[in-house]
Amino acid sequence: MAVLDDAAVLRRRRVERLERVWEERSGLLGWLTTTNHKRIGIMFFFTALAFFAAGGVEALLIRTQLIGPDQHVLSPQAYDEVFTLHGVTMIFLFVIPISIGAFGNYLLPLQIGARDLAFPRLNAFSYWVYLCSGIFVYVGLAIGQAPDAGWFDYVPLASKQFSPSAGIDFYALGLIFTGVSSTATAINLIVTTFKLRAPGMSLNRMPLFCYAFLAVSFALLFALPPLTVATGLLELERRLGLPFYEVGRGGSALMWQHLFWIFGHPEVYIIILPAFGIATSIIPTFTRRRMVAFPLVAIAEILVAFIGFGVWAHHMFAVGLPTIETIYFAAASLIIVIPSAIQLFAWITTIVTGTPIFKTPLLWIVGFIVLFIIGGLSGVMFAAIPFDQQTTDTYFVVAHFHFVIFGAAVFPILGGIYYWFPKVTGRMYHERAGQASFWLTFAGTTITFMPMHVVGLLGMPRRNYTYAPGMGWTGLNLIETLGAYLLAGGLLLMTANLLVSIFRGAPAGEDPWGGDTLEWAISSPPPVYNFAVIPKVTSAYAMWDAADRGEDLRRLARGEMVLADGHEQPASTTLDAQLDDVLEMPTDSIWPLLLALALAGVFTMLLTGHLTTAYVFGGLALALLGCWHLKEPEEAT
Amino acid sequence: MSGLARRAEPSGATAAALAHRRRAIPNGIWGALLFVATETALFGTLIGSYFYLRFTSSQWPQGGVAAPSVALPLALTAALVLTTAPVLLGARAARAGRRDNAIALFALALAVQASYLAWQIVALHDDLQRFSPRATAYGAIYVTLLVLHHAHVALGLALEGWLIARLSRGLTRYRVTTAQVVAIYWVFVNAVAIAVVATQVSPS
Repeated sequence: MAVLDDAAVLRRRRVERLERVWEERSGLLGWLTTTNHKRIGIMFFFTALAFFAAGGVEALLIRTQLIGPDQHVLSPQAYDEVFTLHGVTMIFLFVIPISIGAFGNYLLPLQIGARDLAFPRLNAFSYWVYLCSGIFVYVGLAIGQAPDAGWFDYVPLASKQFSPSAGIDFYALGLIFTGVSSTATAINLIVTTFKLRAPGMSLNRMPLFCYAFLAVSFALLFALPPLTVATGLLELERRLGLPFYEVGRGGSALMWQHLFWIFGHPEVYIIILPAFGIATSIIPTFTRRRMVAFPLVAIAEILVAFIGFGVWAHHMFAVGLPTIETIYFAAASLIIVIPSAIQLFAWITTIVTGTPIFKTPLLWIVGFIVLFIIGGLSGVMFAAIPFDQQTTDTYFVVAHFHFVIFGAAVFPILGGIYYWFPKVTGRMYHERAGQASFWLTFAGTTITFMPMHVVGLLGMPRRNYTYAPGMGWTGLNLIETLGAYLLAGGLLLMTANLLVSIFRGAPAGEDPWGGDTLEWAISSPPPVYNFAVIPKVTSAYAMWDAADRGEDLRRLARGEMVLADGHEQPASTTLDAQLDDVLEMPTDSIWPLLLALALAGVFTMLLTGHLTTAYVFGGLALALLGCWHLKEPEEAT
Repeated sequence: MSGLARRAEPSGATAAALAHRRRAIPNGIWGALLFVATETALFGTLIGSYFYLRFTSSQWPQGGVAAPSVALPLALTAALVLTTAPVLLGARAARAGRRDNAIALFALALAVQASYLAWQIVALHDDLQRFSPRATAYGAIYVTLLVLHHAHVALGLALEGWLIARLSRGLTRYRVTTAQVVAIYWVFVNAVAIAVVATQVSPS
C-alpha cells in the first residue's frame, strides 16, 4: 500500500512540475500570443463557426428569395453577391478552416501522442492570417463591394470590363491571403505527423484520422498554387492590364477554368477527406470493433487525394473540349469511385459486423453515409458526358454538390463536434436533444436538396435570382425553402444543446465513449502539456491496449519520458517512430500576430492600389520575420 | 519557417534512450522541403500557363515580337546555377562547425547571385523597351514569369544576408539548420531558373 502511495505522490509531483513548466499567460494577451495547438484549434473553431453562421444566413436568403416565383427579397445584384459569398464562405472560410484548423490542430497532436504541432508559432500565424483574410473578404460586403461572379469567378464575367467594382479584387486577393494560412497549416500537419508521433506509433499504427489529414495536407500543398496563379493573374489583368484571359489580346478565358478547376476538384476531396477521417474515428468507438480493412482504407484515403488531381475537366464538359480529353476525364472520374467505394464498404461493414450503439455521433456518421451514397451516385452520373452536358448549370448540379459537400463533408464535422465535445469541454451534451438535432438536420437536408434533382431535370438553371410562374418549379422550390429552415432549426437546436451543456452538462471524465485513440487517455479538457508521460504505442488502437496505458502510469512514477525540463517534445523516426530526439518547443510569441497584421497591410494596400505602401508593409513583414527568429532555443554550441 | 533547433543532449532517463545516433531529419528541413514543394507547384502552374497560351495561339511570340535572345539568358542562368556549389558547401561547412568557411562560401554565392539579379533586371528593362506586357498575353506571361523568379532570387538574397549576419555572431545548431534551409531554398531557386530560362527562350 505504501508503495502505491509513493507512486501516486511521485506522479503528482511530476505533473505539478509539468503544469509549472507549461503554464500559459492568462487573459486576452494569453490568447493573442498563444502557440498552444488546443487554444489555436479553439480559435479556429469559433471563427469558422462565425463564418458558418454568415454562410448559413446567406443560404437562407437565397432560399427565401426562391420560395416562390417573381420574389423580390433580394435584388438581382444582391442575389449574385449573396450566392457568391455563400460559396466562398462555406468552402474557404468554414469547411477547410474547421477541418484542418480546428479538428486537425486540436486533435492530431493528441491522437499521435504529441504535446504540440511541429511549428507552434507557424500555427499561430496560420490562425491570424485566416482571421485577417476572412475579415478582408467580408469588408468587401460591408462597404458594398462584395464579389458577385460566383465562387468559381469565371472570366470574362470577372474581368474589369464586366465587373468593374472592387468585389472581384476582394475575392482574388482574399483567396490568395487565406491560401497562405492553409499552406502553413498543411506544412505543419505533415511535419507533425511524420516527426512527432509517439514512440512505437509506426506509420501502420497511425490512426486513420491522421492518414486522412495527412492526405488533405499534401493535397492542399499542390492544389492551392494553381488557385494562387489563377487569382494572381486575374489581379494582374484587372489592376495592371496584363491580358492573360482577354481573348482579344491573345489571352484565353478557358485558361481560367482550367486553372480554377485544377485547384477546384482536388478541393472537393480536401473538403471531404477530413470528414472521412472523422468517420473512421467515430465508427470503431461506437461499434466496439476495429475498422474493417484498415490498410485498404488508409491507402484509399491517400489515393482519393492523389487521383483527385486528375479529374478537373469534368467540370468543363460543356465548354467544347476535344473528345479525347473529355473521355480521359470521364474515365478518371469513374476511377476515383474505386477508393471512395473501398472506404464506404469498410465503414458499412464495420458497422454491420460490430455492435453499433447509435449515440448522436454515430447517427451523424450513418446520415453522412446515406447522403454520401446519394451524392456519390449523382456524381458518377456526371462522368457520362452527354448527361453532364444536359444538366450543366441546372439545379441538378446544385443538388449533387450539396449532398456531397453538406451531407458528406459537414455531417461528420457536426458528428465530430458531438464526439469530441466531452473531451474539449469536460462536459457531456444532452443526448436526446443531440439526436433530435440530427434528425431535424437530416430531414432538412434531404427535403432541401432532394427536390433540386427534379427541378434541375425540369430545366431550372442555377444562379438565376428568380423564376417565372408556370414553369412547374414553384411547389418544389417552396418545399426546398421549408427544408432549409428545418435544417437551420436542427443546427440551432445543436447550438443550444452544446451551449447549455458547456455550463450544465454532466462531467465527462477522461473517456466517456471507450474511444480507441490516445486523446481519451488524458483528462477532459486536456492539460496544456497534453501527456504527462509520452505514451508508448504498440497497435493502431492505442487506447484499447490497457496494458500499455497501465505502463504509462508506472513510467510516470519512474519519471521515464516525462520530459519536464522545459517545453519538451520527443521526435521520432519517420517510418518506425523510434525515439530519435527531444525538441525544445517555443513558448508564447507575439510575432505571428504582428506578421499576419503586416501581411493584412500588404493585401489591403494592394487592394487600394497603394503599391509603394504595400512594399513598405512587405518590408515590415520581412523585418518581423527576422524578429521572430532572433530568439533561439537554449542549446549547447 | 526555419525549424526548431534540437537540444544538444537531453537529460535524465531520456538520454540513455537517445544514445543511438540520431537519424531523423530536423523539423526545419522538413518544413523547407514542403515549402519548396508547394513553390514548385506554383512555378509549374505558371510555366504550364505559358505553354497553354502558346499552344492555343496561332502565333508565338504574339504581336510580332521578336523571339528572345538565347545566349545572355543561358549564360546568366549558368552563373546562377553554379552558385549551388558554394551554397551547398557553405551549409556543409556550417554543419561541420567551420563557421568562417561557411560565411565565406555564402558570401561568395551572394555576390554572384546579386550580380545575376542586377543583370537580369537590366535585361528585363531592355525587354520592356521592345514590347509591353499589356499588349499581348505573350508579353504578360513572359514578364510575370521572369519577375516572379527574380522576386524569389531577391528573397533568397535577403535570407542569405540574414544567415551571414547570424553566423557572424556564432554557430549554433539552430543556425546550422538555418544554413541548411537556405541551401535547400537556393537549390530550388536555381533549379527553377533552368525551367524558367528554358521556357523563356523556347520560341528561339
